[in-house]
Amino acid sequence: MNNRLLIINGPGLSDLSHFNEFGHDDLTLEKVQKKCSETCESLGLSLEFCQSDDEAELTNYLTRACKEFDALIINPVSYANASSLDFDIYTSNIETVTLQNKPVIEVHIANIFQKRVDVTEPIKVSEGNVGFVSGFGIHSYELAIRAVHRKLRKN
Amino acid sequence: MNIYVINGPNINLLGTREPEIYGHETLDSISKDCIKKGLKDGHDVKFMQSNYEGEIVEWIQNAIKEKIDAIVINAAAYTHTSIAIHDALKSFSGFKIELHISNPHLRESFRHVSYISPVVDAVVAGLGANGYSHVIELLADLQKSYK
Repeated sequence: MNNRLLIINGPGLSDLSHFNEFGHDDLTLEKVQKKCSETCESLGLSLEFCQSDDEAELTNYLTRACKEFDALIINPVSYANASSLDFDIYTSNIETVTLQNKPVIEVHIANIFQKRVDVTEPIKVSEGNVGFVSGFGIHSYELAIRAVHRKLRKN
Repeated sequence: MNIYVINGPNINLLGTREPEIYGHETLDSISKDCIKKGLKDGHDVKFMQSNYEGEIVEWIQNAIKEKIDAIVINAAAYTHTSIAIHDALKSFSGFKIELHISNPHLRESFRHVSYISPVVDAVVAGLGANGYSHVIELLADLQKSYK
Protein backbone atom coordinates (compact mmCIF):
# COMPACT_ATOMS: atom_id res chain seq x y z
CA MET A 1 0.00 0.00 0.00
CA ASN A 2 1.14 3.52 -0.74
CA ASN A 3 2.41 5.67 2.10
CA ARG A 4 -0.11 8.33 3.04
CA LEU A 5 0.93 11.97 3.25
CA LEU A 6 -1.16 14.77 4.74
CA ILE A 7 -0.41 18.36 3.70
CA ILE A 8 -2.03 21.00 5.92
CA ASN A 9 -2.24 24.67 4.96
CA GLY A 10 -3.01 27.03 7.79
CA PRO A 11 -5.09 30.18 8.15
CA GLY A 12 -5.19 32.62 5.26
CA LEU A 13 -3.58 30.35 2.70
CA SER A 14 -6.68 30.14 0.53
CA ASP A 15 -5.50 33.43 -1.00
CA LEU A 16 -1.85 33.51 -2.12
CA SER A 17 -1.94 36.77 -4.07
CA HIS A 18 0.15 38.64 -1.46
CA PHE A 19 3.12 36.41 -2.34
CA ASN A 20 3.45 38.30 -5.64
CA GLU A 21 5.61 40.92 -3.95
CA PHE A 22 8.13 38.25 -2.96
CA GLY A 23 8.60 37.16 -6.54
CA HIS A 24 6.25 34.17 -6.34
CA ASP A 25 3.86 35.43 -9.00
CA ASP A 26 0.37 34.24 -9.82
CA LEU A 27 0.39 31.58 -7.15
CA THR A 28 -2.91 30.00 -6.16
CA LEU A 29 -3.60 27.21 -3.70
CA GLU A 30 -5.03 25.19 -6.59
CA LYS A 31 -1.68 25.41 -8.39
CA VAL A 32 0.13 24.33 -5.21
CA GLN A 33 -2.25 21.40 -4.82
CA LYS A 34 -1.78 20.36 -8.45
CA LYS A 35 2.01 20.45 -8.11
CA CYS A 36 1.85 18.44 -4.88
CA SER A 37 -0.46 15.85 -6.47
CA GLU A 38 1.85 15.43 -9.45
CA THR A 39 4.94 15.07 -7.26
CA CYS A 40 3.22 12.57 -4.96
CA GLU A 41 1.91 10.57 -7.88
CA SER A 42 5.37 10.29 -9.44
CA LEU A 43 6.75 9.04 -6.11
CA GLY A 44 3.89 6.67 -5.31
CA LEU A 45 2.59 8.57 -2.28
CA SER A 46 -1.12 8.99 -1.67
CA LEU A 47 -1.94 12.58 -0.76
CA GLU A 48 -4.58 14.44 1.15
CA PHE A 49 -4.23 18.21 0.75
CA CYS A 50 -6.20 20.58 2.94
CA GLN A 51 -6.50 24.17 4.06
CA SER A 52 -8.38 25.68 6.94
CA ASP A 53 -8.74 28.98 8.78
CA ASP A 54 -10.44 27.29 11.67
CA GLU A 55 -8.54 26.19 14.74
CA ALA A 56 -10.81 23.28 15.60
CA GLU A 57 -10.61 21.96 12.08
CA LEU A 58 -6.80 22.22 12.08
CA THR A 59 -6.71 20.30 15.34
CA ASN A 60 -8.89 17.64 13.74
CA TYR A 61 -6.51 17.33 10.81
CA LEU A 62 -3.53 17.02 13.15
CA THR A 63 -5.30 14.32 15.13
CA ARG A 64 -5.96 12.48 11.88
CA ALA A 65 -2.26 12.87 10.99
CA CYS A 66 -1.47 10.82 14.10
CA LYS A 67 -3.90 8.05 13.20
CA GLU A 68 -4.33 7.84 9.46
CA PHE A 69 -1.16 9.16 7.87
CA ASP A 70 2.53 8.23 7.61
CA ALA A 71 3.89 11.74 7.17
CA LEU A 72 2.91 15.38 7.62
CA ILE A 73 3.83 18.56 5.77
CA ILE A 74 2.47 21.72 7.30
CA ASN A 75 2.45 25.35 6.22
CA PRO A 76 1.42 26.92 9.51
CA VAL A 77 1.69 30.55 8.33
CA SER A 78 1.55 32.89 11.28
CA TYR A 79 0.17 30.55 13.85
CA ALA A 80 2.47 31.86 16.57
CA ASN A 81 1.24 35.41 16.05
CA ALA A 82 -2.42 34.74 15.43
CA SER A 83 -4.25 35.31 18.66
CA SER A 84 -7.18 33.21 17.47
CA LEU A 85 -5.07 30.08 17.41
CA ASP A 86 -4.07 28.22 20.50
CA PHE A 87 -0.32 28.00 20.15
CA ASP A 88 0.12 25.24 22.76
CA ILE A 89 -2.52 22.95 21.31
CA TYR A 90 -1.05 23.37 17.87
CA THR A 91 2.50 22.62 18.99
CA SER A 92 1.57 19.66 21.15
CA ASN A 93 -0.45 18.16 18.28
CA ILE A 94 2.52 18.43 15.97
CA GLU A 95 4.73 16.97 18.68
CA THR A 96 2.43 13.95 18.94
CA VAL A 97 3.09 13.24 15.26
CA THR A 98 6.89 13.65 15.57
CA LEU A 99 6.91 11.33 18.58
CA GLN A 100 5.42 8.59 16.40
CA ASN A 101 8.63 8.87 14.41
CA LYS A 102 6.71 10.04 11.35
CA PRO A 103 8.39 12.60 9.11
CA VAL A 104 7.09 16.12 9.74
CA ILE A 105 8.22 19.09 7.66
CA GLU A 106 7.27 22.73 8.04
CA VAL A 107 7.09 24.61 4.73
CA HIS A 108 6.72 28.25 3.77
CA ILE A 109 6.32 29.80 0.33
CA ALA A 110 8.46 32.88 1.07
CA ASN A 111 11.61 33.02 3.20
CA ILE A 112 10.04 33.93 6.55
CA PHE A 113 13.30 35.44 7.84
CA GLN A 114 13.40 38.24 5.31
CA LYS A 115 12.48 41.58 6.82
CA ARG A 116 9.42 42.27 4.72
CA VAL A 117 7.81 38.95 5.48
CA ASP A 118 5.53 39.41 8.44
CA VAL A 119 5.13 35.80 9.34
CA THR A 120 6.37 34.02 12.37
CA GLU A 121 8.90 31.92 14.12
CA PRO A 122 9.50 28.33 13.11
CA ILE A 123 7.58 25.61 14.92
CA LYS A 124 9.33 24.54 18.10
CA VAL A 125 8.69 21.08 19.49
CA SER A 126 10.59 19.87 22.53
CA GLU A 127 10.89 16.29 21.31
CA GLY A 128 11.17 14.73 17.89
CA ASN A 129 12.31 16.34 14.66
CA VAL A 130 10.62 18.82 12.36
CA GLY A 131 12.25 19.58 9.02
CA PHE A 132 12.10 23.12 7.68
CA VAL A 133 11.86 24.43 4.09
CA SER A 134 11.22 28.09 3.37
CA GLY A 135 11.53 30.42 0.39
CA PHE A 136 11.35 28.22 -2.71
CA GLY A 137 7.81 29.30 -3.61
CA ILE A 138 5.69 26.41 -4.80
CA HIS A 139 8.87 24.30 -4.85
CA SER A 140 9.12 24.39 -1.05
CA TYR A 141 6.33 21.80 -1.09
CA GLU A 142 8.04 19.79 -3.82
CA LEU A 143 11.32 19.60 -1.90
CA ALA A 144 9.49 18.65 1.30
CA ILE A 145 7.56 15.86 -0.47
CA ARG A 146 10.79 14.41 -1.85
CA ALA A 147 12.41 14.59 1.59
CA VAL A 148 9.40 12.85 3.17
CA HIS A 149 9.52 10.16 0.50
CA ARG A 150 13.23 9.47 1.04
CA LYS A 151 12.74 9.35 4.81
CA LEU A 152 9.83 6.91 4.52
CA ARG A 153 11.83 4.63 2.29
CA LYS A 154 14.58 4.49 4.93
CA ASN A 155 12.25 3.81 7.86
CA MET B 1 24.96 25.96 -13.80
CA ASN B 2 27.85 26.50 -11.38
CA ILE B 3 27.04 25.83 -7.74
CA TYR B 4 29.23 26.39 -4.68
CA VAL B 5 28.39 24.35 -1.60
CA ILE B 6 30.18 26.10 1.26
CA ASN B 7 30.50 24.41 4.65
CA GLY B 8 31.61 26.02 7.89
CA PRO B 9 33.38 24.95 11.08
CA ASN B 10 33.31 21.35 12.34
CA ILE B 11 31.42 20.08 9.29
CA ASN B 12 34.64 18.19 8.43
CA LEU B 13 33.89 16.05 11.50
CA LEU B 14 30.58 14.78 10.07
CA GLY B 15 30.09 11.09 10.69
CA THR B 16 31.98 11.15 13.98
CA ARG B 17 30.73 14.34 15.69
CA GLU B 18 27.52 13.80 17.66
CA PRO B 19 26.09 11.29 15.14
CA GLU B 20 22.76 11.26 17.03
CA ILE B 21 22.29 14.83 15.77
CA TYR B 22 24.24 14.92 12.53
CA GLY B 23 24.05 11.31 11.33
CA HIS B 24 26.73 8.87 10.24
CA GLU B 25 27.39 10.14 6.76
CA THR B 26 30.70 11.89 6.12
CA LEU B 27 31.12 15.15 4.22
CA ASP B 28 33.11 13.24 1.63
CA SER B 29 30.25 10.86 0.84
CA ILE B 30 27.71 13.73 0.79
CA SER B 31 29.87 15.74 -1.60
CA LYS B 32 30.43 12.78 -3.93
CA ASP B 33 26.68 12.17 -4.06
CA CYS B 34 25.90 15.84 -4.84
CA ILE B 35 28.64 16.20 -7.46
CA LYS B 36 27.36 13.07 -9.18
CA LYS B 37 23.74 14.32 -9.08
CA GLY B 38 24.86 17.69 -10.48
CA LEU B 39 26.97 16.18 -13.25
CA LYS B 40 24.01 14.09 -14.43
CA ASP B 41 22.23 17.31 -15.38
CA GLY B 42 25.40 19.06 -16.57
CA HIS B 43 25.97 21.18 -13.46
CA ASP B 44 29.30 21.91 -11.86
CA VAL B 45 29.00 21.47 -8.09
CA LYS B 46 32.00 22.51 -5.99
CA PHE B 47 32.10 21.40 -2.36
CA MET B 48 34.25 23.28 0.14
CA GLN B 49 34.69 23.31 3.89
CA SER B 50 36.63 25.59 6.20
CA ASN B 51 36.93 26.17 9.90
CA TYR B 52 38.03 29.75 9.21
CA GLU B 53 35.51 32.55 8.86
CA GLY B 54 37.78 34.64 6.62
CA GLU B 55 38.25 31.80 4.17
CA ILE B 56 34.47 31.42 3.84
CA VAL B 57 34.16 35.17 3.17
CA GLU B 58 36.83 34.85 0.46
CA TRP B 59 34.98 31.96 -1.20
CA ILE B 60 31.80 34.04 -1.34
CA GLN B 61 33.77 36.96 -2.81
CA ASN B 62 35.23 34.54 -5.31
CA ALA B 63 31.72 33.37 -6.22
CA ILE B 64 30.80 37.00 -6.94
CA LYS B 65 33.90 37.46 -9.13
CA GLU B 66 33.40 34.17 -10.99
CA LYS B 67 29.65 34.87 -11.46
CA ILE B 68 28.66 31.58 -9.87
CA ASP B 69 24.92 30.84 -10.26
CA ALA B 70 24.08 29.59 -6.79
CA ILE B 71 25.56 29.24 -3.31
CA VAL B 72 24.38 26.62 -0.85
CA ILE B 73 25.84 27.55 2.52
CA ASN B 74 25.97 25.61 5.76
CA ALA B 75 27.85 28.15 7.87
CA ALA B 76 27.41 25.92 10.95
CA ALA B 77 28.20 27.84 14.15
CA TYR B 78 29.17 30.99 12.19
CA THR B 79 25.49 31.21 11.23
CA HIS B 80 24.80 32.62 14.66
CA THR B 81 27.79 34.97 14.92
CA SER B 82 29.13 36.14 11.58
CA ILE B 83 28.21 39.58 10.30
CA ALA B 84 31.12 39.21 7.85
CA ILE B 85 29.45 36.25 6.12
CA HIS B 86 26.11 38.11 6.19
CA ASP B 87 27.73 41.08 4.41
CA ALA B 88 29.53 38.95 1.84
CA LEU B 89 26.34 37.06 0.96
CA LYS B 90 24.47 40.33 0.55
CA SER B 91 26.84 41.24 -2.29
CA PHE B 92 26.28 37.95 -4.09
CA SER B 93 23.44 38.36 -6.56
CA GLY B 94 22.96 34.69 -7.54
CA PHE B 95 20.58 32.27 -5.84
CA LYS B 96 21.43 31.74 -2.15
CA ILE B 97 20.31 28.88 0.06
CA GLU B 98 21.06 28.45 3.74
CA LEU B 99 21.25 24.80 4.77
CA HIS B 100 21.51 23.00 8.09
CA ILE B 101 21.60 19.28 8.72
CA SER B 102 19.64 19.54 11.96
CA ASN B 103 16.94 22.14 12.67
CA PRO B 104 18.65 24.89 14.73
CA HIS B 105 15.28 26.18 15.96
CA LEU B 106 14.71 22.95 17.87
CA ARG B 107 18.06 23.22 19.67
CA GLU B 108 19.73 25.58 22.17
CA SER B 109 18.39 29.14 22.12
CA PHE B 110 21.79 30.48 21.01
CA ARG B 111 21.14 28.74 17.69
CA HIS B 112 17.78 30.42 17.16
CA VAL B 113 19.24 33.57 15.63
CA SER B 114 20.75 33.37 12.15
CA TYR B 115 22.59 36.29 10.58
CA ILE B 116 22.36 34.43 7.29
CA SER B 117 18.61 33.73 6.96
CA PRO B 118 17.60 37.35 6.20
CA VAL B 119 20.02 37.63 3.26
CA VAL B 120 19.31 34.34 1.48
CA ASP B 121 16.48 33.32 -0.84
CA ALA B 122 15.63 30.09 0.90
CA VAL B 123 16.34 28.09 4.05
CA VAL B 124 16.45 24.30 4.41
CA ALA B 125 17.01 22.64 7.78
CA GLY B 126 16.48 19.41 9.65
CA LEU B 127 16.39 17.12 6.60
CA GLY B 128 19.64 15.41 7.63
CA ALA B 129 22.53 14.92 5.24
CA ASN B 130 19.98 14.30 2.47
CA GLY B 131 19.18 18.02 2.56
CA TYR B 132 22.22 18.68 0.36
CA SER B 133 21.20 16.36 -2.46
CA HIS B 134 17.55 17.48 -2.28
CA VAL B 135 18.68 21.08 -2.77
CA ILE B 136 21.01 20.24 -5.67
CA GLU B 137 18.25 18.21 -7.30
CA LEU B 138 15.78 21.08 -6.95
CA LEU B 139 18.25 23.64 -8.32
CA ALA B 140 18.81 21.42 -11.35
CA ASP B 141 15.03 21.07 -11.87
CA LEU B 142 14.42 24.80 -11.52
CA GLN B 143 17.14 25.51 -14.07
CA LYS B 144 15.42 23.13 -16.48
CA SER B 145 12.01 24.75 -16.04
CA TYR B 146 13.39 28.27 -16.60
CA LYS B 147 15.06 27.27 -19.87
